[in-house]
Amino acid sequence: MPHDVSNKSAKQSTANALNVAVLVSVGQHPLTARARRADQDARAVEMALSLENASVSLLHAGPQDSDHEEAIRGYLGMGINSVGLIEQKPQADVIPALANALRASAPQLVLTGTRAETGEASGVTPYLLAEALGWPIITGLAAVEKVEQGVVTVLQALPRGKRRRLRIRLPALATVDSSAPAARQSAFGPARRGELAHQKAASELDEALSTWQFQPARKRPKRLKIVKSSSARDRFKAAAAKADGGGGQTLNDVTPEQGAEAIFKLLKEEGVLS
Amino acid sequence: MLDTLLPILLFSALLLAAIGAVRRVRLWRQGRPSPAPIIRGLMQVPRRYLVDLHHVVERDKLISHTHVATAGGFVLAALLAIMVHGFGLDNTILAWVLLAATVSMFLGSLVVAKRRSPPPSRLSKGPWMRLPKSLMAFSIGMFVVTLPTAGILPEGVFQSGAGWLAALVLAGVITWGLGEMFFGMTWGGPMKHAFAGALHLAFHRRPERFSNRAGGEHRSTGLKPLALDDEHTKLGVEVPADFTWNQLLGFDACVQCGRCEAVCPAFAAGQPLNPKKLIQDMVVGMAGGTDAHYAGSPYPGKPVGEHGGSPHDPIVARTGSALVDAETLWSCTTCRACVEECPMMIEHVDAIVDMRRFLTLEHGNTPNKGAEVLDNLIATDNPGGFEPDSRLHWAADLNLPLMADKREAEVLLWLGDGVFDMRNQRTLRAFISVLRAAEIDFAVLGNEERDSGDVARRLGDEATFQSLARRNIKTLSQYRFARIVTCDPHSFHVLKNEYADLSTADMPARYEVLHHSTYINQLVTDGKLTFKAWKGGNVTYHDPCYLGRYNGEYEAPRAVLKALGIEVKEMARSGYRSRCCGGGGGAPITDIPGKQRIPDMRMEDVRETGADLVAVGCPQCTAMLEGVVEPRADIKDIAELVADALIIKTPDEKAAQSKPAPASPRATLEVMP
Repeated sequence: MPHDVSNKSAKQSTANALNVAVLVSVGQHPLTARARRADQDARAVEMALSLENASVSLLHAGPQDSDHEEAIRGYLGMGINSVGLIEQKPQADVIPALANALRASAPQLVLTGTRAETGEASGVTPYLLAEALGWPIITGLAAVEKVEQGVVTVLQALPRGKRRRLRIRLPALATVDSSAPAARQSAFGPARRGELAHQKAASELDEALSTWQFQPARKRPKRLKIVKSSSARDRFKAAAAKADGGGGQTLNDVTPEQGAEAIFKLLKEEGVLS
Repeated sequence: MLDTLLPILLFSALLLAAIGAVRRVRLWRQGRPSPAPIIRGLMQVPRRYLVDLHHVVERDKLISHTHVATAGGFVLAALLAIMVHGFGLDNTILAWVLLAATVSMFLGSLVVAKRRSPPPSRLSKGPWMRLPKSLMAFSIGMFVVTLPTAGILPEGVFQSGAGWLAALVLAGVITWGLGEMFFGMTWGGPMKHAFAGALHLAFHRRPERFSNRAGGEHRSTGLKPLALDDEHTKLGVEVPADFTWNQLLGFDACVQCGRCEAVCPAFAAGQPLNPKKLIQDMVVGMAGGTDAHYAGSPYPGKPVGEHGGSPHDPIVARTGSALVDAETLWSCTTCRACVEECPMMIEHVDAIVDMRRFLTLEHGNTPNKGAEVLDNLIATDNPGGFEPDSRLHWAADLNLPLMADKREAEVLLWLGDGVFDMRNQRTLRAFISVLRAAEIDFAVLGNEERDSGDVARRLGDEATFQSLARRNIKTLSQYRFARIVTCDPHSFHVLKNEYADLSTADMPARYEVLHHSTYINQLVTDGKLTFKAWKGGNVTYHDPCYLGRYNGEYEAPRAVLKALGIEVKEMARSGYRSRCCGGGGGAPITDIPGKQRIPDMRMEDVRETGADLVAVGCPQCTAMLEGVVEPRADIKDIAELVADALIIKTPDEKAAQSKPAPASPRATLEVMP
């Protein structure tokens, strides 16, 4: 079993425990918008907890109120004793605060969800953070296979169930999406007893954010694909197939300028940029 | 010789029994405190024993009479033996009564012996197999040794020649009898059930279960609330010592008769649960040790001897095995058949839910779909995770009056989570047409309604239950209604019996709650419904656990069926012995595998009656029984049967009945505020 081997080698090579930090956010239920632990962040916590010989710490930066606190306690219910809370103003940019905290605690691996369920939910935070720290970033982490002499071997999830094996030098930042294993149940007792370790930090106002306009998102209409076929197998294949744009193209071995140009062209075609 | 030996034997046995009693009491006292009046409780033992306990025992007439003869004979014989032989009271009349008592005890022990040759599988073997012989030893020994005192044999017959030899044998027999009956009673022998059982009756955790002279209903089936206010207390039962002391005492009272095992649907389905073994495991945990000495049927698929525990070790281990495996606890459907059958009044379901509470609230280990269902209940107030604002989508065409608009109504119709289930929607539609035919002033809560909390509570998530219940109580407190009527026995039970514990001064939560079968029966008695003649085939009725055993409603559904002109062909197991459909207690969610499915067994019961249709009164039962593969009997809710048979009066007839009502019923509805 390769998994067992990796666990053993992890134990041998790292005499001291692997220091893992998980960044968690306040989620919201898609139907009722009630605050909860965010699904992807919970999966990140699950992945951290399933790593053998790892010491896991949780970190959250954001405004504090009782609703948020309840949601953050959801992570504590997974069997973690405390979560660090960096208090930030509602309009603050949390990147500097998180980067400072991570520099201070110096974890070897930082895990987090791909995108938040509330706020901007742009999914950029992990990239900005990785940039601020100067660390490599892995997206779509599906499994951590082994940690050996400061190098982690992971499986990255690609669309349609594909997996890619990557080796990354630690420290690194990795994001987890719904291809990672589902989070364990959050138990009421430990959630209520867990400690919220409040940390004070200066809030840096997000200048750009104040100029933004917010409006509720509208569901985009889906194109219907009508399959005219007499064979049930074809109809089933069509129904089961993931809708793909069809008009895409794969660019190999191009210069960054050429790549940027292609992206720019596509965005114009789709009407994102005018 | 015997004259000196007997008092010594008697009093040393009594002394040892007293020492054992103190040890046993100390074992029970390891449990959490629980208030119980000592003197008043002890005073009530005779009534509770002779009336309530005997009511259960009497379901098996032969054993009931046997127990009266044996136990009655023993108690009398023991008391008289202490007087006559212990204190040397040489009274001929007392001696004759003592002789009669021993004869009664002996005759009883003959039947006990006959029942155990060979023993049915539900009875425990091991030390229990020697009990009839010990009873005989005691009764024969006491009988013979009393003969001279009664004047049948000459005094001093045991003091010369062959008499010496006889006396020696007699002393041995009596020592055996006393050892079992006095010493064994408090040192863990089969007779322990008498000692612990009597005290269990005195300090029962649900004193309201027992009848009193005033008469009336005495039922206590709602789960006890868990205090959630102190965040440092452990929630639920992790180790045997976390049970209350009178629960531990209750476990110790088990007589291992296996009646619970015989009625348990999970055991019959081959799921790893046997209520008797579970209670014995709790005794093992309380005293410390392994289950190797258990001599009854094991949990299906789990050999005896591999589990053990102690008062302060976890009952369920996170990994590996401890006293009990988690799947044993999750197999229970909370149907209460075991509690109903238990002659020692042990509360199995309370114990199981207590242990489940720990697993869910502290371990976060609800198996299979459990975690998902609980998350849904927390986020969307229904177990299926449906949009809470879509609760009334199924009734878009029914124009249901909303409480939010009406503010008051005679009947508040509690729809339950069946609103999201297409099968149950048919039942609800049928019941609403019945209410409309009877012209009842009713209203629904609509989107303001939430899950009653039944599933959450039985899955051990007391926090979610209390949260749902408190919010429901708050909603209900805004409106005025005379009674709540529901088609779901689970909501019915929770609203009726479990919300009251969460009452506050400004928000009382005591409601008159009726199951729809009870309410339809009232409407029929009031002459508000008229039916066509029944033309269908044979019908049987399946009692839902939460309506029958939990709330004692066996009559109303049968009365309604009778009013429809249906003659119910009863199943062998019906009424208080009804077999569960397998749908209660979150069992379909935790879904512990067995050898067969519980609803299949129930439909087999139906098939034996030859019925073409089984009438039910519960959305869970409907779903479980309809899940059985065809060919099988059809399943219809009582509301559907009633709605099908309704003779709806036309507007003209109504106008003829009540003069000032020229408008059509449709218009009346729209005008209503």
